[in-house]
Amino acid sequence: MDFLAQVDPRVNFWATQPGSVEMWLKILVGLVISAGAIFALIKMPTRGRRPVVMAFTFLCGLFYVLLWIWPSPLNRKPDEIARSPAEGVSFLLADTLPIVATITNILVAILLGLGVYSLIRLHGGRIIKRHADRGFSVVLLVSMLTITVFGYLDWGMRTFGDKEGKLLDIANWGFVNLGADLLFDGLLQQMDSAMFSMIAFFILSAAYRAFRIRSVESTVLMASALILMVSLLSAVVVVWNGNVTNLAAAMNVPLANPSIGEAGALNFLKISNIASWVTSFLQTPALRAVDFGIGLGALAMGLRLWLGLEKGGVSV
Amino acid sequence: MTPEKPTFFEKIQNVDKRILYLILIVLTTIPLFPMFSSIVLPNEPAPHSQAFYYQLMSVPEGKTVFIQSDWTLSTRGENAGHIESLLRTVMSKKLKFAIYTVADPQAPGVYRKYIQSVNAERKRAGMKEYKQWEDYVDLSYFPNAEGTLNAIGSDVRKIFNKRVKDPASGKDRLVFESPVLKDVVKVGDVGLYVVITASNSFDRTVERLSDKTKVVVMCTGVIGPSTLPFFQSGQIKGASIGLKGAVDVEYMMKYGLNYPDSTGKIKVPWSGKEELKADPVVEGMTIARGSLYFMSFHAAIALLILAVTVGNIGMFMARRKKA
Repeated sequence: MDFLAQVDPRVNFWATQPGSVEMWLKILVGLVISAGAIFALIKMPTRGRRPVVMAFTFLCGLFYVLLWIWPSPLNRKPDEIARSPAEGVSFLLADTLPIVATITNILVAILLGLGVYSLIRLHGGRIIKRHADRGFSVVLLVSMLTITVFGYLDWGMRTFGDKEGKLLDIANWGFVNLGADLLFDGLLQQMDSAMFSMIAFFILSAAYRAFRIRSVESTVLMASALILMVSLLSAVVVVWNGNVTNLAAAMNVPLANPSIGEAGALNFLKISNIASWVTSFLQTPALRAVDFGIGLGALAMGLRLWLGLEKGGVSV
Repeated sequence: MTPEKPTFFEKIQNVDKRILYLILIVLTTIPLFPMFSSIVLPNEPAPHSQAFYYQLMSVPEGKTVFIQSDWTLSTRGENAGHIESLLRTVMSKKLKFAIYTVADPQAPGVYRKYIQSVNAERKRAGMKEYKQWEDYVDLSYFPNAEGTLNAIGSDVRKIFNKRVKDPASGKDRLVFESPVLKDVVKVGDVGLYVVITASNSFDRTVERLSDKTKVVVMCTGVIGPSTLPFFQSGQIKGASIGLKGAVDVEYMMKYGLNYPDSTGKIKVPWSGKEELKADPVVEGMTIARGSLYFMSFHAAIALLILAVTVGNIGMFMARRKKA
């Protein structure tokens, strides 16, 4: 493992000069090795795959478990040498972490590629087999191909062909740059926004038809929802709170008692304070309890996966 | 036998949804017309927004902040106001920043647009434009949030082992040679760590970095409640939640926090923290997108309350009549 710990941002075996022939060669070799490993895994009988996957899962999990339970180095100097084996392990874990993170970043990127491959395979198959809904598949694949081509051309022009940064100015954009912008910002992102904004209509319609006071629970839910919704309307809040302040002045009751750092009873009539009480004393503890439950569940699930007890996780 | 005619109360329980949709469209669109854009609704910033603004304004000039921008345009109604007010404040305070995402491959394309638009706005106003390498670095996308954030906490110099173009030499250089990151050895060296998000990506940040640096959050209203336990426990130092949060920040950018105006009146007092003060933003726009959308937001929430109330009144009255 020591070879990973030696990696630093400068040029070395693991980090060559960007754009160099050596870098592209290493990428190629890496791809061939990865493809070979995946191919070998596919060709391996199912009984053989299971221990391989379990071993990798255990090793990867062990790294993060060790990182979590092993004492971390504090105020470590760049050239500091470990004074004990325990400290050596903590140094090694800390040094290896960024490299492991980079590897996981690459793995996730590969998963993205795997997703693209899966989409092409599925929808390509539908088109070839003349499936009834093949029109949608054609639209999907054509859209994906178009945005990919324009995206890469635009990226290439900006990265390799624009040394002076001229393309930062829209006036210098050509067909490719305008096309990429239209596809990403003009279409994809706007459709994303449109999809999300539709939720407003569904919320309104659902609230109107279904949010009815039929039980004690729904009454409590509605009361707290109304308080929180009104507390978001700042124009209403300012007027309401102003009236409470005026009422306190008229009754000659202090809104707050600075000597003991406490608010007066009338202060609680302010809508912002009622909402704050609801969020602080009702909502937040409930959320914390839910988070705690989720955390315990995730821990149990994580342990099962790590130790290979979860059959579904390794049934490749 | 002819069917019984529905009563008024039965009718108001069953208004056609298309009519509801039309009312919503009209009510939320009209406030966006230019004649209403100058109207600024009165506001009382929430305590977590006040804490957010105080933390941001407390970062010393010239210091670097990290911005983890994990949102795309689907939530632009809220997050666009967040990023714009953040960038305006950061640029006004002459802070440097490193920006990246750990959540969504589309996010870099989105935040770049907003950096460009705020820069263009500064150019039009005759202010200094922010330049990549000198004033900020764009570190783009890190696909694995957990691993990346762990590594940022452990050794930020190794995980941000990226190169960006140095305009002076025209060459790609390591980001830690840039004026933005040259003094950052560990994540604790940054002035503030801001997460702008539409999802629970801030959870992972809080879990891994909140004990190493000051984390603040700008998030959508939907996930806002889940930030509050972290704010209460002190794991995040401030939160700008939803559109209201964006408006709060803009409001404090204009009026400051515990900041007396020329007449000595404090427009935004921070209850219980009277000794802490944050100045208003001195240059560029303050009241902007968040406030522009705020009237539409008021209209939508008011309609929602009205719809629920009308539906329930109708149900009660109809039941009473039947009984």
